[in-house]
Amino acid sequence: MVDEQQHDRLDFEIRRHIYDQLLNGHAAPTIAATADALSVEPSAVRAGFERLAQARNLVLQEGSREIMMAQPFSAVPTPFHVEADGHRWWGPCIWDALGILAMVKQDGRVLTACGDCGEAMTLTIKEGALAEGEGIIHFGLPAKHWWDNIVFT
Amino acid sequence: MLLFRSEEHVDRWCALWNRPRGATLSLEQGWALAQEWYGPDRRDPAWHRKTVDEIELLFATLRLTGPFWQLRG
Repeated sequence: MVDEQQHDRLDFEIRRHIYDQLLNGHAAPTIAATADALSVEPSAVRAGFERLAQARNLVLQEGSREIMMAQPFSAVPTPFHVEADGHRWWGPCIWDALGILAMVKQDGRVLTACGDCGEAMTLTIKEGALAEGEGIIHFGLPAKHWWDNIVFT
Repeated sequence: MLLFRSEEHVDRWCALWNRPRGATLSLEQGWALAQEWYGPDRRDPAWHRKTVDEIELLFATLRLTGPFWQLRG
C-alpha cells in the first residue's frame, strides 16, 4: 500500500512535469531530464513512464521507452503543426492538434494537409471558436478500438 | 484522425488504402470534442481519464451516436 501511494505521488509529479514542459513550449522531457527535475533516480522515472503508459496516460517509443505521445502532444514530428502564443508543437492527429489549442486556451492555428491530396490546410482558432478553415475530420476506427493501436489511430 | 478537404477526398483515401469508411465530423464538432476532451488541466491532481460513462455522455451531447461511437459490447 505504501509503495502504491509512493508510485501514485511520483506518477502525478511526472505527469505534472511533462505537461508543464510541453505547455511552456519545451520539448517533451526525457527520462534523464525528468529525473533531474524531480531529484529522483532515472530508474524510478523509467518505471513511472511505464506505469503511466500502462494507464494510457502516455505512449512510449518502442525502443528507447522515451515519450512518443503525451496526448494531445506528440514528442516526435508529425504532419500536424500547431502554433500558439509564440510556441510550436506537433499533434499526433487532427483531433489532438485541435486538442493542443483547447489545452493551452490560446488563439492559434493548426497547419496540416489534406490526408488524400496533400493540399495545405490551416485551421484558425480565435477566442475559443473556429475562426477560419474548411474541411472535415475522418475517424477511421470505431471508438471502442481507438486504443487497440493508438499510434495507428 | 485525418483532415480532408471534402467527403470526396475521404472516399478517395479510403479506396486508395482499402480502408472501410469510418465517421466524419464537421470542424465545429471536432473542435467541440477537442475542447471537452482536452480542456481539463492534466496537471490538476484531481484530473483523471474519462470513464466510459463520461465518454458516452460526451458523445451523446455532441450527437455522436450510432454503432461507430459505441464503447461497449
